[in-house]
Amino acid sequence: MNHNLYQPVNGKIVDIIDESPTIKTFVLVPEEKFKFATGQFVELTLPAVGEAPFTPSSSPADTEKMEITIMKAGRVTNLLHQCKKGQKVGIRGPFGNGYPIDDFVGKQIYIVGGGVGLAPIRSLFLTLVDRIKDFKSVVCRFGAKTPDDFIYKKTLFGSWQKIAGVDMKLTVDEANDGWKGNVGVVTNILAAEDVNIKNAVAVVCGPPIMMKYTTLKLLEFGFGGENIYLSMEKNMSCGIGKCGHCMIGKYYVCKDGPVFIYEQIKQYPDIWD
Amino acid sequence: METVFISELKPLLDAVAEQMDLYVPKKSGEYYVYVKYDPSSKKAVEFNNIRTCTPIKEFLFPLCELAAVFPEPVEPEEIKLFAVFGLKDCDLRSIEILDKVFLEDEFEDPFYVARRGKMFIISSDCFEPRGSCCCTLFGGQSYAEKGFDLNLAKVKNGFIVEAGSDKGKEFLQKHKDIFVEVPPEALTERDSIRARTQKQLEENNAEYKLDAPVNEIMENSPDSDVFDIESQKCVECQACTRVCPTCHCFYLYDIKQKDYFSKMKMWDSCMRLAYAEVAGGANPRKVLGDRIKHRLMHKFSFFFDRYGIDMCVGCGRCIDADSHKMDIRVVLRRLSEELKDKGKKKAKVAK
Repeated sequence: MNHNLYQPVNGKIVDIIDESPTIKTFVLVPEEKFKFATGQFVELTLPAVGEAPFTPSSSPADTEKMEITIMKAGRVTNLLHQCKKGQKVGIRGPFGNGYPIDDFVGKQIYIVGGGVGLAPIRSLFLTLVDRIKDFKSVVCRFGAKTPDDFIYKKTLFGSWQKIAGVDMKLTVDEANDGWKGNVGVVTNILAAEDVNIKNAVAVVCGPPIMMKYTTLKLLEFGFGGENIYLSMEKNMSCGIGKCGHCMIGKYYVCKDGPVFIYEQIKQYPDIWD
Repeated sequence: METVFISELKPLLDAVAEQMDLYVPKKSGEYYVYVKYDPSSKKAVEFNNIRTCTPIKEFLFPLCELAAVFPEPVEPEEIKLFAVFGLKDCDLRSIEILDKVFLEDEFEDPFYVARRGKMFIISSDCFEPRGSCCCTLFGGQSYAEKGFDLNLAKVKNGFIVEAGSDKGKEFLQKHKDIFVEVPPEALTERDSIRARTQKQLEENNAEYKLDAPVNEIMENSPDSDVFDIESQKCVECQACTRVCPTCHCFYLYDIKQKDYFSKMKMWDSCMRLAYAEVAGGANPRKVLGDRIKHRLMHKFSFFFDRYGIDMCVGCGRCIDADSHKMDIRVVLRRLSEELKDKGKKKAKVAK
């Protein structure tokens, strides 16, 4: 029989990190070699329960293990949150197209992320940082509801801020007592003067409403639709462009995405729904 | 030997059934459905004058099948040779469409590929089209010219049998004893039946003729009210997508078996409300009219864009199945008229 793409590779959860009240990072070790490119996604199966699509949050350079950051959002993710270390899982993929890192060389990379949208961005960020000298600069503008809702707090508030070539600003919708940073939605900390518009690409990942208003703002700054990379979240199921659940217009998000340039999909009114 | 003649169906079907499982149409109420052929049966063999009610996709992409086993993969059951008799040109064209998705695409579906390789196709000319048959509107016709192993044309004194593949030619060669040469008058008769049926189909569908290519109509109607208006008739039974021989949406789900876990693959329908919903509740097509539009856009624009053919063969099964008689021809005709009116208005403004 030909290769069966519906068959998962076996894996095991070796560690679970609490990121926020509703988000955990699961460290997985696949039993077989499993390579992916940053921005591609996998289907994670919880045996007998179901599967759901996630973009790994770890660097593809780490081929021994893979990290997936998961927010409690539905049936499968709720049950994943109840899993303990040692739980067996299935992993299918990787599927789709990730970020075209080589096209980013020599450019300013303007990354806007919100909430659990920082998960795919972390994988991208780690990949970029590995070869930071190849890029003009990496500008990060991240938002979360409250300081507690930020994921990857330790590195986000610490070492990532100190990397040469990285310019990072954070904001929260609602501050708490200890928060000394910006308050407001992420679009409030986007500033045209931070952007080298002639030589920049933007990467956006977060809740649909945040992606919509961020994209509109980036267009206002003068970004061309071909330079705005969006990581789309739809109901990806088969992963191979057949089952139909993830279609945006003529595109299968699973096969033609999940990373799209805005220019490709702007004609479809339902991309943000 | 490529075209031969046989006066009765039974010896031909018996010869097929000797080699493999054979499925044949059987009348059930006003429709035909498929049953397994029983060579020992004394009942006369039925010849379906038109397509069956159930879609041919069932044989290649079953309603529900095992797609994966966890944690240890198992080799799926070996697919044995099988034959299906009585497919019409619309059915063959639906296989061509499914082939694009499951066989010729960059990613194959191994289950489809396995079944497709084992299927022996015996098609036949259509000569009593229903009112819902509309293949001629969508580039089809009443008889097949390709896509079959054998094709039968029924005439007064028997059947003209034509081979359309090496497998078909081999079959005719192997069983040459049961066939005779084609009487010349049979060919003339076949051609006149074909022309008559074709004419009838065209007449039946004259009122639905479109003013522009269907792809153009769909692509220029994204804001039309027609979808929302038509949706008022729809009760969301999803029958249109079940009986459609080209609809191929599916759903993967996981269940626990006795001592293993399995991933199943089952037909799904883009007409279902939660079809495109993601965890958390976002749903790009909450409105029924938007789902109807998406389905038709997929059939006549998105699929065409990707694979170069339309995803509809005009078999009319969806028209028969719709309890409130939503008719795809009427929807397309309305869009076509709307577009023509728009064009006229534009021309007026330009003047």
